[in-house]
Order: sequence, then structure tokens, then C-alpha cells
Amino acid sequence: MISNTGPAYSSPQRSAFDRYNPLRWIGELSETRYWMYLLLLPSALLICAVVIYPTLYGMQMSFHEMRINRPGLGNGWVGLKHYQRMVTDPVFWVSLRNTAVWVTSAIALEFLIGLVAALALNRNLPGSKVLAVLILLPYFLPNVVAGHMWALMLDPRLGVINDLLVKVGLLQGYKAWFADPTTAMAAAIVVEAWHSFPFFTLLLLAGLKGIPTDLYKAADIDGAGALSQLRLITLPMLKTIIAAAVILRVIGLVNSPDLLLILTSGGPGRSTQVLSLYAFQTAYKDFNFGYAGALSVVMFVLLMVFAWAYVRLSKVNED
Amino acid sequence: MAATRSRSKLVWDIVSYIVLIGLAFICIAPIVWTFLTSLKVESDIVTRTMHYIPPSITFENYVKLWNQSSYPTLVINSLIVTSTTVLICLLTGTVAAYAFSRFQFKGRTQLMLGYLVVRMFPAVLMIIPLFIVMRQVGLLDSTFGLAVAYTSFLLPLFVWMLKGFFDAAPKELESAARIDGTTRLGAMFMVVIPIARNGLLATCVFVAIAAWNEYLFALMLTTSTGSRTWPVGLQLMVGEFQLPWGMLAAGGMISILPVIVLFALVQRAMVAGLTGGAVKG
Amino acid sequence: MTSFDRRSVLKLGGGALAASALLPAHAFGQSTAINYWHTFTSQSEFAGLDEVMKLFAAAHPDITVTQENIPNPEFMAKVTAAVVSGSRPDTTMVASERVADLVAMNGLTDLTDRIASWDRRSDFDDARFKSITVDGKVYGVPAFTFVDWMYYRKDWFDEAGLAAPTTFAEFRDAAIKLTDPAKGRYGFGMRAGAGGQAYVINVMEGFGAKLVQDDGTIGLDRDKAIEAIDWWAGLLTRDGAVPPSAPNDGFRQIMEAFQTGQTAMVWHHTGSFQDNAKLLKPGVEFATAVIPAGPVNRVSRLGYAYNTVTNPDTIDAGWEWLKFWGEPDAAIAFLEKTGYFPASTAAAKDERISGNPLYKPAADTLGFGIPAPSFPGSAGWAEGVVLPAFQRVLIKEATPEQAVDEMIDGLAQAIG
Repeated sequence: MISNTGPAYSSPQRSAFDRYNPLRWIGELSETRYWMYLLLLPSALLICAVVIYPTLYGMQMSFHEMRINRPGLGNGWVGLKHYQRMVTDPVFWVSLRNTAVWVTSAIALEFLIGLVAALALNRNLPGSKVLAVLILLPYFLPNVVAGHMWALMLDPRLGVINDLLVKVGLLQGYKAWFADPTTAMAAAIVVEAWHSFPFFTLLLLAGLKGIPTDLYKAADIDGAGALSQLRLITLPMLKTIIAAAVILRVIGLVNSPDLLLILTSGGPGRSTQVLSLYAFQTAYKDFNFGYAGALSVVMFVLLMVFAWAYVRLSKVNED
Repeated sequence: MAATRSRSKLVWDIVSYIVLIGLAFICIAPIVWTFLTSLKVESDIVTRTMHYIPPSITFENYVKLWNQSSYPTLVINSLIVTSTTVLICLLTGTVAAYAFSRFQFKGRTQLMLGYLVVRMFPAVLMIIPLFIVMRQVGLLDSTFGLAVAYTSFLLPLFVWMLKGFFDAAPKELESAARIDGTTRLGAMFMVVIPIARNGLLATCVFVAIAAWNEYLFALMLTTSTGSRTWPVGLQLMVGEFQLPWGMLAAGGMISILPVIVLFALVQRAMVAGLTGGAVKG
Repeated sequence: MTSFDRRSVLKLGGGALAASALLPAHAFGQSTAINYWHTFTSQSEFAGLDEVMKLFAAAHPDITVTQENIPNPEFMAKVTAAVVSGSRPDTTMVASERVADLVAMNGLTDLTDRIASWDRRSDFDDARFKSITVDGKVYGVPAFTFVDWMYYRKDWFDEAGLAAPTTFAEFRDAAIKLTDPAKGRYGFGMRAGAGGQAYVINVMEGFGAKLVQDDGTIGLDRDKAIEAIDWWAGLLTRDGAVPPSAPNDGFRQIMEAFQTGQTAMVWHHTGSFQDNAKLLKPGVEFATAVIPAGPVNRVSRLGYAYNTVTNPDTIDAGWEWLKFWGEPDAAIAFLEKTGYFPASTAAAKDERISGNPLYKPAADTLGFGIPAPSFPGSAGWAEGVVLPAFQRVLIKEATPEQAVDEMIDGLAQAIG
């Protein structure tokens, strides 16, 4: 880097070169008190461009009349009209309840299976590398593929799961899982859990690898059993990762209608109708962007309240 | 004492194997079934008698899939979008995660929550405004534009996940390097990022998978085959007037192939990094 | 030549260069590129489209058409986003039930004058243009027709000594008689999942609850609608003549059930004939019939796929492409690949159609069939309110009265 300087001026030249060496320059910059802000700048700018503007635009839609197949109604300011409608809209309340059921059950299931799998994998038994690849595989499948795959397996006429259950004797005949309100949601939750539990497995496994083994040795000496080790060492050490994983998964699940769109479209009746699906249908089937905007804002606020409470409770910001 | 401990270890080992093999079976069975379906002829799929083993094996579904609607292009588009997304996240997200993990500064908590909050606005409604922005800057219907759109929800994921990994990396080595006169920049690149490289890798894999699988944005922001991604192309096959189970299954199999390859590579690197890193303790 | 000095030559050349840079390419007689959105997905449909595009390229070397397929379920979402953001396609295929919404959002271009002076206009019945005419303006050219009809298991009907039903009452009787749970057979494959809303509306109109009255007002006759819902849902809840999977059965499911011998009758349109013929023997195992008549009205739908101009800037090229579909060569080429009925009356009289007895019910239906009711918001109401409300009756979560009230409220919301 400094080899091309002349011998006569060697030392002053070197420092002059160093001053213009970008690495050195950034290195010095990194010692200033604005360094962290500089680190945040690129991502913040990007997020402003692709998220903040569209979000604000979307929010203002919720206070306007925006039914694009009814241009006669105009695009005027309607204040809280859409929010008032929501209060008396039975579909909104059903969707809200279904969203709660859908998200909590799916995530509870995903977390439990994910944790069990991560703990088992973390024992580094022979062959667990191969098993890990197999177990993580579902998460790699696109929702589109996973959805259709399970739709075929649960099909009331062609479904292999029906056939197996009949052969084992658990079912009398083929069952139409998605045609019965009591099983439609449950089946959808199973599919979602199957698809996404590896998200927890992978994150928790990475977290487990980071826990110093000394802690467990000490606990062994103290005579703590496996379960109390889990409760007293493992879970507290994984706190940050669990919190991040749960929040990310909740957001992903609340906001994405993909899987239910493919499996049930909210049916039968409204038994699997969730908020994201309702907002999607209101926007692109009813073309009522104002009301869809209001539904989205409510989802957004609910998520914010949840995240705030959750972060508070798990004290993710403390260290 | 030692005997009971080794016996309980044995019990837990057996339990672990049962759990792992059971889970692996549950995870693999649907994929195997999809693979078998992809080898069947239509009349063996749409039938009243369940065929567990395909009575006659055909590769016709794959051939039809490949010839029908430019599937190679779709796969290449998906690869371009995915790697561009990961690159953008790496360039802008790594430093942001580092800043959140290592510095206390005014507005840190609020900013971090801000990064999370931007993920919360439902994609359903961001799409129209994003559509308008993309059109204004000429990125509509382009793989790069789609990758930029993906960063809107994947960059926060990247930053948050990576922050967790940076948090887990011990601060002592970094402090030691700082005492030796390394700049903050040097400490970040020479000490912290190498320690957290497994986390970095895992985070990249997650972002890559999410980008590879994404459907809603890809559907809305691309129209031509020149920029359309794989999941969208696959969903398009599900037409109103045809029953494409065999081809759909074949499409599913092809779509996971590159991912399995990628993951196999990453898995090795991850394990090597984890075991080779004496830095952990 | 000698009168030009260097300076004026340079000036001239420079001016020409500048002008060429400013002028759009087609001013130089080069080709105009337009794109065409459509909802084709199957191989036969693509083959048909390919054929039409080849013929068009030969006839119009100056216009390049790029086709882009948008799946049916996502079509409206994509078109909406494109129209709202100002990045609309040049031309697009539009199903008749979507016309009202698209015109209302100003997505289509008025073609009244061009169509009036079109030399092929007389090949088409006036009725063909009804669904694409809004407030006296015509927005597109019919490309092909889907004719509603019924497929039934001829072998089972013969075995039971039954004839194809012609009224709702006969239809229900046949459905009950042919239901045999021991054999895993049901009388009728009801579509009450995705897309089932159309049949709910048809049955309501069959019972006299017309959606759009003759004077153009929109509304539902509550009592007649309740009677209709009660009868239609009763096929499952009371008669058990419908597979219990009905609330989630869309097109794929009803067709798979029919083709695997689990249902005796199924309602769809001419578009699925080829698929059925692949798995069942036409004329022996299955036959076709017109949709049975309701107690008050005979409701059989004619669905048209129209071609329309979405982008007024390229309307000249777009119009050439649209009207090309009306050429008998193109229509027959498309029919040969897909089996879809031509919209042109002249082409529909083709021997291949009139000579085939299995196509007779469709040809008959062309005589009395009517397009589905359509007004801005109708598609969203049908899918978002009618279907879930009906499903709630099927799964016994609501009474027919409650479901109809839900529909009436939703209708007020949709048009209010």
C-alpha cells in the first residue's frame, strides 16, 4: 500500500498518503461520535424510500373515499368513516378473532416443535447433521408449493392423508378437511406449523450453540435436572433470540394472506377469514381502497401494540 | 452418581433420536409424496384408488413443465432477485445491525423499534404506492426493482436477526483489539464480523429463502416473463380449466432443488464455523 | 447538388438527426409494439393463442404483439394496480363479469365508432355486445364464448332409467336417486367453494329473485331468494345428494369428483369439455345437457371473453389486434386448438360444431342463454358476500333467512 513512495520524503509522504487512504479515513471517522449514525444511514435511507412513503400514502387512503370502481363518489376526505364502519362490520370482528386464533396457535405450535427440534439437534448426536437438513427443509418451500402440496394430500378425494387415516382406522371415510369449519382452521394451522417451525429451529439452534457449556457443567455439579437446566439456563440465555423470532414470525403471519388464500380463501363461510385476507379482498375484489386502508391501519396498530408490549415484557432492549 | 448421569444421558439420547427421526419423517413425507406425484401420469393421480407407488413412472410432467412457459428464465430471474436482495441487505444491513448491537446512543430504542415497525404495515396496501414509486423511477417490472421492494421487509428482518447474533458475540475480544489501538472500523471488520460469521451466514440464508419464496410482491410488481419469478410462474399454472397436479408437483420439486444445494453448502460452512470457533467461550 | 454549400448540408443533416431523435419509432414505418394481457393458462389455450398470434404477425408485420398471461384469480388485482398507477397494458382480454368494474375505474377505451364502421360487425349478433356496452358506449370485441351447460353420467342415468333433467324439480329427483353412499356416489357435484357464487346467483334468479330488474334497479327479492337458498343448500343439508366437501369444492374438485365417478351431474360450461373427454368416454360414459330450468326463470349463462383496448396511446395498433380475433380464420384456429366457442355467429355455424350432437345443448343454449348480471361492485359482492353467506348455510352456521339478509346488506354496501 505504501511501497510507491520515494525514499527521500518517505515519512511525510506516507502520512499524506494515509490521510487520503479511504480505509484510514473511514477508520478515523469511526472514532467520531457520529459513527453509529453513519452506519445506520444507508439502511435508513433505503427504508425511507421503499417503506415510509408507501406507508404514509397507504395510511392517508384510510381517511379518504377511495373506491376506484365508483369514480362518482370522488376521492374526498371522509375522516373516520371507514373506522366507524369497522365497529359494526361483523366480518371485521370475525376476522379479528380468527387472526388471533390463527397466529397464536400456529406460533405456539411452531415454537414448541422448533424448540424441541433445536434441543435435540444441539446434542450433536451422530447423524444429526443429516437429520437437521431434512428437518429444516419445509421452510425452504415457497408458500405456493407448500399450500398446493398439502391441498393435494388433504384432498377429500385424492388425499393420501385421508387414505392413511382410513387404513389405520381413525376415519370411517375420506374427510373434507377444508369444508368443515371445525377442521378447516386446524388443518390450516397444521400446514402453517409444518412450513414454518424450522424458522424457530434454526434460530434457536444458532442461539443454543452460543451458550457456554460451562454453565451446564456447573448445573450438572449442582445436580440440576434436564428440565430445570432448560428452565434456568437455556431459556433465559435464548431470551433475545426467542423474542426476535416470535416478533418476526407474528408480523409475517399477521401480514401475509398467501397460505390461506391458497388453502381456503377464508371459507367455509368465514371460518378461516383473517384480517390480511379481508384487507386483500376488500382492496382487490371490492376495489374499496379506503376501507382496505383502514383495515390495514388497524392491523398495523395491533401489531405495534403487540410488539411494544412484547418487547417490554421480554426486556429485549436491556443489554 | 456417574452411572445415573450416563444413564440419563442415554435416555435423553434415545428420546432425541426418536424426536429427530419422527420430525424428519413428518418434514420429508410431504416432499416425497410430491416427488412421487410428479412421476405419475394424470390418470394415476385423479383416481379413486390410491397409488402409493406410481404404477408407471413418467418424466413427462418435467418435460412439459420445462417446455411450456420458459421455466429456465423464471428460475434465473428468481436467482437474480434473491442474490440482489441478499447483497443489498449485506451492504446496508450489516453495519446497521452492528451499530444497534454495540452502541448506546440517543434514539437507539426508538430507531430499532422503527425498523421493526416498518415491517408491520401490511404488504397488501403498500403495493399500490410502491407500484407508483417503482414506475416513477423506472424499476417496475424489473428484477432489480423487485429486489429493492423485497428489502422493504427483509432488511428489517436482516438487521434484527443479525443484531441478535452480534449481541451474542463476546465483547472482550473487541475491547482487547480496541486497547491495542484498532479503530472501531477495524474492530468491526476484523473482530466482530468474523466471530459472528455463522450468524451472518444464517441471516443471509433466511433472507435468501424469504426472497426466493415471496409471492405477493412478485405477482404485483412484475408482469413480463423477463422479470417474473418462480413462485409466480408456478401459481400461474393453476389455471381455471385444467388439473395440473403432476406438473405442479414437478414444479415444486424443481423449485426446491437449488435451495437444497444452497443449503447443503451453507450448512457445511455453518457447522465448520460453529465448531472451529474457539472464540465462543 | 452544387447549390448546397457545406454549411447547409450540415444544417440539414443535423436537423434530420434531431427530428429522428424526437419522432416516435413508428413514424418511420417501423413496427409498433403492443402487449396483450390474457388469462390463458392451459397448454391448449396457449397453443390457440400462439396460432392467432402467428396469423396476426403474417397479416400485420408492422405490429408486434407480446402476450402476458395473468392468472384469473389475480387478474383484477393486477389490472387495478396497473390502472391506478398508470402503467396499463395496451390491450387486454376481459371476462364479461369484469366489464362493469373496469369501465367504472376508467380502465377501458371507448371503441363505439371503430366498431360501428368495422366490416365484420355484421358477423356478430347484437346480443354479443350487450355485456361490453356501458351507457351506450362499446368497449370491446367478443373473442369467444363460454356456454353454461351440464355434464351427466349417461351410463348411470341409463342404468337407473332416468332421462336428463330439464327442470329443477327433475334435477333434484335425479340427484337424490343417483346418490348411493355405499358406492361412494353422489347425485350432484355442487360448486360452493371458489367460483360457486355464480351458481348461487343463477339459482336465485331461477327462483325469480332477479338481481338487476328490467328497469335497471338493483336488488334482491327477499322471499324468493330465501326459497332459492333453502332449496340449493338443501341438496346438501336435507337431501344429502351432494358430497360433504361441497363448501370447499371449486372447479378442480367438482371436475375431479365427476371424472373419478363420484358424482352423477356437474354444472360448468363448454370450456371443460376436452378435459372430461380425456378421462371419460364422451357419449357413452358422459353426455351433455342444458342447465335445468328454474321454477320461475330459465337461467343459463353465456360468458364472453372480450378483447379491449386499455391504453389509448396505442389504440390504432391495439384495434388491429382486437378485430383480428373476429376474422373467421383466427376464430376457427382458436376453436381447433381449444374447443372454445367462437363469438362470431358466422363462425359458430361451422360444421364441426353443428354436426356434433354433444355440442347441441350448447348450440341450443346460445338461443336462450343470458349474460350474468354485472354492475360496478357486483363481482366483489358475489365473491365476498354471497359465497361466504351461502357457505354458512351449508355448514349450518346460518339460516337461509340470515344468509339472504347478509346478502341484501352487502348489496346495499356495494352499490351505496
